[in-house]
Amino acid sequence: MDAVHLDKVRKTYDHFVAVDDLSFRIAQGAIFGLLGPNGAGKTSTLRMMIGITAPDSGTVHLFGEAFRRQHLRRVGYLPEERGLYKKMKVRELLVFLAEVRGVSAAEAGRRAQQWCERLQIAEWLPKKVEELSKGMQQKIQFIAALLHEPELIIMDEPFGGLDPVNTSLLKDVLLELKQRGRTILFSTHRMDQVEKLCDAICLVNHGRPVLEGNLREIKARYGKNQVHIAYEGDGDFLNTSSLVVSANDYGNYVEVQLKPGADAQELLRLAAARARVTRFELAEPSLEQIFIDVVGDHNVAA
Amino acid sequence: MWLRNVWLLSKRDYLERVRTRSFVIFTLLIPVLMFGVSVLPSRLATMQSGRARNIVAVVPDAEFGRLLEEQVQVVTKDTGSQYQLRVELSQTEETRKGLDRQVAVKQLDGYLWVTPDAIRQRKIQFVSRSSGDFMEMGALGAALRFAIMKQRLAAHGSSGEELEELVKPLEIETIDVTRGKTSSQAIFFTAFLLMMILYTTVLMYGMSVMRSILEEKTSRVVEVMLSSVTAKEMMAGKILGVGAVGLTQILIWTALTSVVSLPSIMSLGGGGKGAGIGISSTAGVFFAVFFLLGYLLYSTMCAALGAMVNSEQEAQQMQFPIVLPMVIPLVMMPYLIRHPDAPLSVIISMIPFCSPLVMYLRIVVQQPPAWQIALSIAILLATIYGMLVLSARIYRVGILMYGKRPTLPEILKWVRYA
Repeated sequence: MDAVHLDKVRKTYDHFVAVDDLSFRIAQGAIFGLLGPNGAGKTSTLRMMIGITAPDSGTVHLFGEAFRRQHLRRVGYLPEERGLYKKMKVRELLVFLAEVRGVSAAEAGRRAQQWCERLQIAEWLPKKVEELSKGMQQKIQFIAALLHEPELIIMDEPFGGLDPVNTSLLKDVLLELKQRGRTILFSTHRMDQVEKLCDAICLVNHGRPVLEGNLREIKARYGKNQVHIAYEGDGDFLNTSSLVVSANDYGNYVEVQLKPGADAQELLRLAAARARVTRFELAEPSLEQIFIDVVGDHNVAA
Repeated sequence: MWLRNVWLLSKRDYLERVRTRSFVIFTLLIPVLMFGVSVLPSRLATMQSGRARNIVAVVPDAEFGRLLEEQVQVVTKDTGSQYQLRVELSQTEETRKGLDRQVAVKQLDGYLWVTPDAIRQRKIQFVSRSSGDFMEMGALGAALRFAIMKQRLAAHGSSGEELEELVKPLEIETIDVTRGKTSSQAIFFTAFLLMMILYTTVLMYGMSVMRSILEEKTSRVVEVMLSSVTAKEMMAGKILGVGAVGLTQILIWTALTSVVSLPSIMSLGGGGKGAGIGISSTAGVFFAVFFLLGYLLYSTMCAALGAMVNSEQEAQQMQFPIVLPMVIPLVMMPYLIRHPDAPLSVIISMIPFCSPLVMYLRIVVQQPPAWQIALSIAILLATIYGMLVLSARIYRVGILMYGKRPTLPEILKWVRYA
């Protein structure tokens, strides 16, 4: 059973098409990345999944059924633009947010305590929300999305504005939830952040899917035609060689895109003949690289 | 589920407000202020410096002097001002100069110069250090008037008792065929009271609803909330929660004001007479019903506006159109009281934005047919629900676009938008 199934979902505001016939499935228990640049239609897509807006056409299925509001009790949502009732005390706020999702007050209080201890923020429970720093508020919002133990967790830019320590803290929590069978949907434009976490992705641009599927398969499709090379000496050969499509000099090393069908060994021989090679690595393209390639192509096509 | 959510939402809004320090202070301060504004000035005005005022009356004859003394005593009893009156018969320039000097050196507070000429011209001089204490002028004027009248009537052979009878004030009592005694003052009073209470509560709490909705929009709490409750539940919760705060405050105020100021109002208003408003208990029930309905209606209107606007400034500009429909019944009040059954009155009492005031007024003046009351209440309830749905729609779509103030056609599109 798929936790989420979007079928040809379309959403327009005035004459602006925010989401254009978007379809994807998220398998239960998977971590799914909805990726794309700013304004690609990610948030609009999420809003249709949690009933804030309805699609103009197409269908949204959650947990194998057509969308109903009752499903929302099984969904946790962390919106991109964070908002909390600033005048409330942290504990009251968490209990309230869990209560409107059907948890009893006593149970909500217990869970709030546990989660805050886990995220090292328990001493702030009796304080007012407005006294918390932005990062702490973000943690509270994160907890608020999880208190009712949702089966599907939807997070819009979950790590935006968090320091590395807290980012890894939250990542651990999410991985643990995945192990317990929860389905997690990330929406972000920071590809590097989710690359290590996601099982599958959907890349959207201008409201349209441009790349979709299992992350490993996608990477395999793009093949290991990338070489990271570090050397001392004259690097001119990289620009003149017929094996190379493009070369990006990052300072410490150069990222080389090979022509389709080109042999990496040939490049190594070439390099060894011209310069002193200190590192030579066959690498998978990063998601970012793939994204830039794909979106770049689309932009040209458009 | 819908009821539970509305309950949770309104409880949150209610507690958040009631627990603030400003709520407590404001709630306690207003009755004190009201007391200060309404009761204290008249209290202070009637309060005397503590000692009797020393006054000389220079009169043409001893008989008049006696009558004046008598009347001044009556006046003293009525108003609580105290006078030490000495009657002087010599009306020469020397006396006058002497009295002037005594007033100047504060041996005297003032003197009345009552010559036969002055009586004829009905213009009597009162000389004192301060001029224009109108309470004092009124009291002394009345005493003089009665003294003159009595002397004149006595000259025609009338007795004192007859005179008392003649000068007693007249009162007109109105009797309604169906309900017995009523008073037109009571009608005006309760209608005006309803209007004032509605107006102030709408201004205070309606605006509070508006502001709070606006705040949820700008702080983006709304997106978290909408992932678990509907916009309609949010609106209903807000209106009821903030509404309950208003009612709590009004109840506390009513209780406090009656405790604090009723005794003094009673004592001021001539020993309780006239202070009894005299409305029937049915009218009291309708007062509560129409107040609540009107309050709910205007709150939902405020909620709809809160959903539309993007900033406090815009919200402020919107206050006027909201209170405008409340003024219409006030302007029409004289007509409504005279013609409570005229077609125009009936029609206006059905228009939801005016009906709380107008229907109440009609009920107090002349009981309209039951079906009209029922219809008016039904229309009100339907409008309240309609406004709620409307505001929820505007809200839901409105949160998706921010920064730009929506135009009317855009809002109409939002409303149609599912």
